[in-house]
Amino acid sequence: MKPRFILISMTSCTGCISTLISLDIFPQFLERTIINYFPFISDEKDINECEVALVEGCVSEESQIIFLRKVRRNAKKVFAFGTCACFGGILSLSSLKKAEPISNHIEIDGIIPGCPPPSKLLGNCLIRLIENKDITLSEKNMCANCPLRGNIEINSNINITKINPNPEEIRLGEENSECFLKKGILCLGPITRDGCEYKCIKMGLPCEGCMGPVSKDFTSNIINYLSLIELSQELRNYTGIYYRFSKPNIKR
Amino acid sequence: MLKVVNVCTRVEGHGEVKILLQNDEISIVNLEFELYRGFENFLIGKRLFDIPKFVSRICGLCYASQAIASCKAVEDIYSIEISEQSILLRRLLMSAELIKSHSMNFFFQTLPDLLRIFNIAQNTFSPNELIQYYPHLTTNLYDLIKIGNEICELFGGRSVHLISIVPGGVIYSPSQKIITIAQKYFQKALSISEWIIEKFIQLFANQTPPKEFNLPNFISLAQTNYGNYDRYSGSLRFKENNKNLVEFEKHNYSTYFSKEINLRGIDFYFENKKNVIVGPFSRFNIVENYGIDEVLSYIEYFNKLWKKNLLFINFIRILEIYIESFRSIQILDDPSLNIKENLPSLNSIKNENGIGVIEAPRGTLIHHYHLDKSNVVDRIKLFIATEFNIPLLNQMITKYAQGLYEITGDLNLVEKNIQVIIRAFDPCISCATH
Repeated sequence: MKPRFILISMTSCTGCISTLISLDIFPQFLERTIINYFPFISDEKDINECEVALVEGCVSEESQIIFLRKVRRNAKKVFAFGTCACFGGILSLSSLKKAEPISNHIEIDGIIPGCPPPSKLLGNCLIRLIENKDITLSEKNMCANCPLRGNIEINSNINITKINPNPEEIRLGEENSECFLKKGILCLGPITRDGCEYKCIKMGLPCEGCMGPVSKDFTSNIINYLSLIELSQELRNYTGIYYRFSKPNIKR
Repeated sequence: MLKVVNVCTRVEGHGEVKILLQNDEISIVNLEFELYRGFENFLIGKRLFDIPKFVSRICGLCYASQAIASCKAVEDIYSIEISEQSILLRRLLMSAELIKSHSMNFFFQTLPDLLRIFNIAQNTFSPNELIQYYPHLTTNLYDLIKIGNEICELFGGRSVHLISIVPGGVIYSPSQKIITIAQKYFQKALSISEWIIEKFIQLFANQTPPKEFNLPNFISLAQTNYGNYDRYSGSLRFKENNKNLVEFEKHNYSTYFSKEINLRGIDFYFENKKNVIVGPFSRFNIVENYGIDEVLSYIEYFNKLWKKNLLFINFIRILEIYIESFRSIQILDDPSLNIKENLPSLNSIKNENGIGVIEAPRGTLIHHYHLDKSNVVDRIKLFIATEFNIPLLNQMITKYAQGLYEITGDLNLVEKNIQVIIRAFDPCISCATH
């Protein structure tokens, strides 16, 4: 029997859904599953029983919590789909709005991180879910296989004065051979999960952490990491680093 | 007074239709969004280099447009010109985004409606039913979505929230091999869009569009480069019927319209109280020259009735896929695409205001940033295409609902059919709930 799927958006940009629809395997996904609820492409209005629920977006409104619980009751497995659902996402930059990962409110069976989730990773996850297998993510950090990996110890005295290279200094691919940290540019690679195929690094920009941490809480990882390095005073005060994809998790 | 709320399906984002009934008559119908994310708020104090990355996350469909409008606003603050190569790369990424966005809208949102309205299908098809019914057409639409996606991956580094778009230009210089691959993609997109245009003409052009979908009087707004089709640069123009009302540069926009930060809705300073439309239909009204002969011959298949009907927007979207594919092939032949320059430095701030304007797939998009005395961003205004269109959309669905309810008294039918109008406008609710 075909597995039944539902796809739900909380507070989001729809980027994860649009990535999913653009996948090579999306036609195959439609063919091999029964879509019970997917408002972007179907008229179905009620949440029904299903094998898998993919939830995109963060929880920013009270009404979403009731909806999420209904999803949980109806789905055998629920996955946080994309960085907003996994960690809170971009809305974490707001001091006025809530931006909670869905796991603050319901039990989840796994995460598919990334802003948006990398196409290859997402495609593999979908195939496994269709075949009723668990999804697996890399347990390594970005540095483990980074193309710029040198012999750098991240707990040595590193002076960080920038969060991105000056535009005129950005170099692509092979022209760029030195670790960003060595150049005094903050890279969140050491605390970020591998799996994105180093897309930002290859474009000459440091990792900004959109895949989230390998384990534990997002912000506490950042704070622990930053305590190991010398960060200029100006950057210490810049919330655009700490809260780019997650808020401190004070509610469990 | 009874209020009926119905959640919209097959639109981008979460929107609700609210129907107000008074004495068994419909008084008002509005498309509303409960959500508000507050980008204009939390971008205050953020670094100018970071802002385009953050605003890209306003929308997973209009990501390139949001980031490019933002970069243009930042470049206005620094008063820097970007290289010709970067302009061409931005144009290619905007084309890829439009091809993907318009194809998704046609496939999943408006094509099932058109088939039902013109009695080609009895029910509204689900995506799977549509694939079974029209395998060739739907395969072609999938291919267009994938082509848009591949070009974003190639030139932008990622399919959504592109990495290469930064203030000062585009961090990418395509090799000849990549240019050849991209040419093949756009040539395929061109031939697919030609095929879909012909299919659309064959299915619908000889039919009369229902008059309930006729557009009321409106004013068009779009960016144009001296009357030419240009979504990246030019000036803004208002046009009513066949008359150009006014043309102005981006820095003068506040003479004609403005908005309160954090409040929805755009205020126009016209005496003329007609509603404004932006997007493909508005570009169609304003552009005088596409630079492609075939465009006019395709348009001639449709009579006058079509050209004042909302459903014609569906055709213009397909036509724009064709136009953008055609122009992208030309761009890929441009020798400037091979001339690599380092990005300019962002050292000295020249202006306290920065304004970036482009034509996003859904219409005019304006980013306006203001700096305080210490050169920190203290005010942000985002003018989003869907926000421009909402008053006209609400005017149309109210009139339509009133008429249909008076004849049928069937609220379910009203709810169902209103959504056809909404989907034809192709609102981007993520963008509108920035």
